[in-house]
Amino acid sequence: MFPRLGRDVGFPLAGCALLFAVFVAGGLIYQSFQGRAAERLVTVMLIDAIIVLGIQIYVGNTGVLSFGHIGFGAIAGYAFAVFAISPEEKLKRIPDAPFGLNEVVLNPVLAGAVAIGVTMIVALVVGIGLARSGAESGAVAATVITLALLFVTHEVARNWPDLTGGNRAGLTFKIGAALDSRLPIYLCLLGALILARLFAQSRSGKLAVAAREDNLAARAMGVNPLVQQTAALLISVIVVSVGSSLRVYENGSILPDNFFFSYTLLTLAMLIVGGRNSVTGALVGVAVMTVGREFARRLGQDGFEVFGLGLDAGPLDWVFRENLQTVFLGLAMLGFMIFRSDGLVGDWELDGWLWRRWNGRKSPERPEPLAEVAPVGLHAEVPHEGAILEVGDIVVDFGGFRALDGAGLSVAPDEVVGLIGPNGAGKTTLVNVITGMVEPAEGWFRLGERDLRTESSHEIARAGLLRTFQNLRLFGALTVRQNVDLASRVAARHRPGTHPSVDALVAEAGLWEVRDRRARELDYGSARRLELARAAAMAPSYLLLDEPTSGMSDAESDEMIRRIRHMAAAVDAGVLVIDHDLNFITGISDRIYVLDQGHVISVGTPDEVQADPAVRAAYLGTESDAQT
Amino acid sequence: MTELAQNLIDGLGRGSIYALLALGVAVVFGVMHLLNFAHGELITVGGYVALWTLGAGWSWYIVTPLIVLSAVLTSLAIERVAFSRVRGSSDFTLLLTSFGVHFVISAIFLLYVSASVKPFDRPSWVTNTYSVGPLNIEVYDTAVIAVTAITLIGTTLLLQRTMFGLSLRAAAADFDTARLMGVRSDTVIRGAFALSGLLAGIAGVFWLMRAGSISPSAGITPMLKGVLAALIGGLGSLRGAVIGGLVLGLAEVLLRSRLPDSVASLTEGVVFLLIALLFIFRPQGLVTVKHAVRV
Repeated sequence: MFPRLGRDVGFPLAGCALLFAVFVAGGLIYQSFQGRAAERLVTVMLIDAIIVLGIQIYVGNTGVLSFGHIGFGAIAGYAFAVFAISPEEKLKRIPDAPFGLNEVVLNPVLAGAVAIGVTMIVALVVGIGLARSGAESGAVAATVITLALLFVTHEVARNWPDLTGGNRAGLTFKIGAALDSRLPIYLCLLGALILARLFAQSRSGKLAVAAREDNLAARAMGVNPLVQQTAALLISVIVVSVGSSLRVYENGSILPDNFFFSYTLLTLAMLIVGGRNSVTGALVGVAVMTVGREFARRLGQDGFEVFGLGLDAGPLDWVFRENLQTVFLGLAMLGFMIFRSDGLVGDWELDGWLWRRWNGRKSPERPEPLAEVAPVGLHAEVPHEGAILEVGDIVVDFGGFRALDGAGLSVAPDEVVGLIGPNGAGKTTLVNVITGMVEPAEGWFRLGERDLRTESSHEIARAGLLRTFQNLRLFGALTVRQNVDLASRVAARHRPGTHPSVDALVAEAGLWEVRDRRARELDYGSARRLELARAAAMAPSYLLLDEPTSGMSDAESDEMIRRIRHMAAAVDAGVLVIDHDLNFITGISDRIYVLDQGHVISVGTPDEVQADPAVRAAYLGTESDAQT
Repeated sequence: MTELAQNLIDGLGRGSIYALLALGVAVVFGVMHLLNFAHGELITVGGYVALWTLGAGWSWYIVTPLIVLSAVLTSLAIERVAFSRVRGSSDFTLLLTSFGVHFVISAIFLLYVSASVKPFDRPSWVTNTYSVGPLNIEVYDTAVIAVTAITLIGTTLLLQRTMFGLSLRAAAADFDTARLMGVRSDTVIRGAFALSGLLAGIAGVFWLMRAGSISPSAGITPMLKGVLAALIGGLGSLRGAVIGGLVLGLAEVLLRSRLPDSVASLTEGVVFLLIALLFIFRPQGLVTVKHAVRV
């Protein structure tokens, strides 16, 4: 499925151009009032904006907090400096440079390209590490790895004077040779904006956001989060490298401390204050923090006299003023985390707003209802040709507790099979095994000829086994329609054949009126129906539903039975449904398996199962013991 | 052989401090799922207490309990002012909050004291050594190891034998269930911060004795060591945190003495690299804690 050109490309481009214009115009206006003194401030702000946008691409889309991007910046900065400065300067600073580097000189553009390349290689290695450490939103180990990267680069920069000029000398450009026009900065900023916005609207960016919202649900939907996260990391590192090269060039020199803790704090604070989940927010944050810091600096410089208050000296000695900027940063970051952790703009985007304004008046027509491809049920006249889902001899141990003890079942592509059993019987565990989320000690499961035991969750989902979760897992920050749309996009890539229309599914789930509401705002019943619609959008071979009616009234439950059967028929999927409610299961199933203490104690049609004394014993306990 | 034994003793001394720091980090992580980047600030605060009291001519015997007390109080204050407000927030918010606390505290010292490094007198015995056979053992290392051993035994008793310890361990294993079973979250979280402050205070006394100086950014290194050691051990495992601290200390000393001179100045870098590799190949840390993820 191609991106929708208007929504996913056209509007973002227009939005970026507008943002860029406003941002730059703001800087230029300030500059025209303040004169030359403000010129440098604005230049620095533009460069900070590029670096912050780079960080946003990773942190915003994946939700992984990275302290390491300034470490990547240091690598890029040094690579740029080593290739770009003149041989005479190198002879002075780093006469013993390794690899004959003091012979090489490139023009700044090429040096920037080399810097990107070098940094990308490091980023790829770090990315593998992050992936292995199980990076997901808020993952602690991943954050510490990035922190370690920051310290390693700083440590190497300080202690490898042959390459970096060490801690005191650093590397400098000849005075006057540094950046003398802002054009490259403008171009790079615009490029960074466009890259950040287009990535967020791309398939990859959207899947990364899905994994940010719920890693497990994303994998169960066929998304491999590690691929999307690594893509986000590489793209973000490109932007950070460009920004860092510009920063070094503009500054005319580089020292280890230029790319260390305090700059990490500054850039992160900008991102957090503005809103890390939004490109607009990143720019807002840069602007707000630049203004705030400048304000704090001038407050320190001139005392409170700026405001005609004449409060000078006293407790405000020079130390106090000198460090007002740092205090301002720390307090801003802490304050926003405590009181408004999504920043000033949350995930608001300028182009998204424009799009809604543009399309606000025309409301799309309610889609046609879904047509049933093939009626589900054993009574279908022609035998279905799809693959059978077969599971056997599954054993799962949790510590000393045997959750599953040789359980097995099979589902045909045109039937609805119920799996019932008391709490703790192992029902959910069995679904977890089939979808690759729990590794069984023994047993086998396959879809037709395909052995699924060695495959990971997202591969199993792509093979056509789609599940829902007992404890609802939706992508909360996305709208109802986006939840279903994402699944449809994954399906378009990985599941050949025809796919049900997203709008039709949303309507079928009874969610048409709330399609633009965020998933986290839905009531319980609607959330359950959305999960069902999202799974159906993958055009699965089998739907595995874990307690789809828990917490529903009898009337809602009956309605759900109808929906499940209808949706399954519309996407031509077999169904395995789990519940502990006998009435619900007998109402929906063609065949029923009864699970107790980890193994199947009975199987058959609803009537047969209900008549089985073993089932009554399991369900009614002592009473049926007394009968026998 | 002698050199190895010497390294082991040095590493054990260094590792003991790391172990105390890591244990403090792990205790808080257990109850709040918060990786406390502000843990080192407890030592910074203690350092300024030491600077002022020693400057006033007080002896280390009086200053030592004051350092520990200030760390405990600071830990409780941080919890009250900042962390209690983000309880139950996303992991991302928690991480950045503790990072923010770290910066605000160091900024306060920047503001009201000075950015410069201020020296104070170290106790006279810190650099003394005595010989056992061919080994030169520092009095300092001996004291560190002994005090750490006593502290760990005390902490173990506290965790195993008291009602508070039981609640804390229960909360660390499964906070929600513990709360349902009647563990009061306020009590257990504040208790955890107090314990964390106590451990940091004890570690801080030794850290400061050796450093003999203090600056607003002095907390970064101990914080980093504590956090890394806790991660090496596998966050959430208290035993793992102690092991992680000892492993980190030993690794540093061994690497510094074994690496060729040209690389020796990069020891810290090599250690970080090893840790990154550890995470890549064993993301759950040295000590595995089984977390049941409900799906």
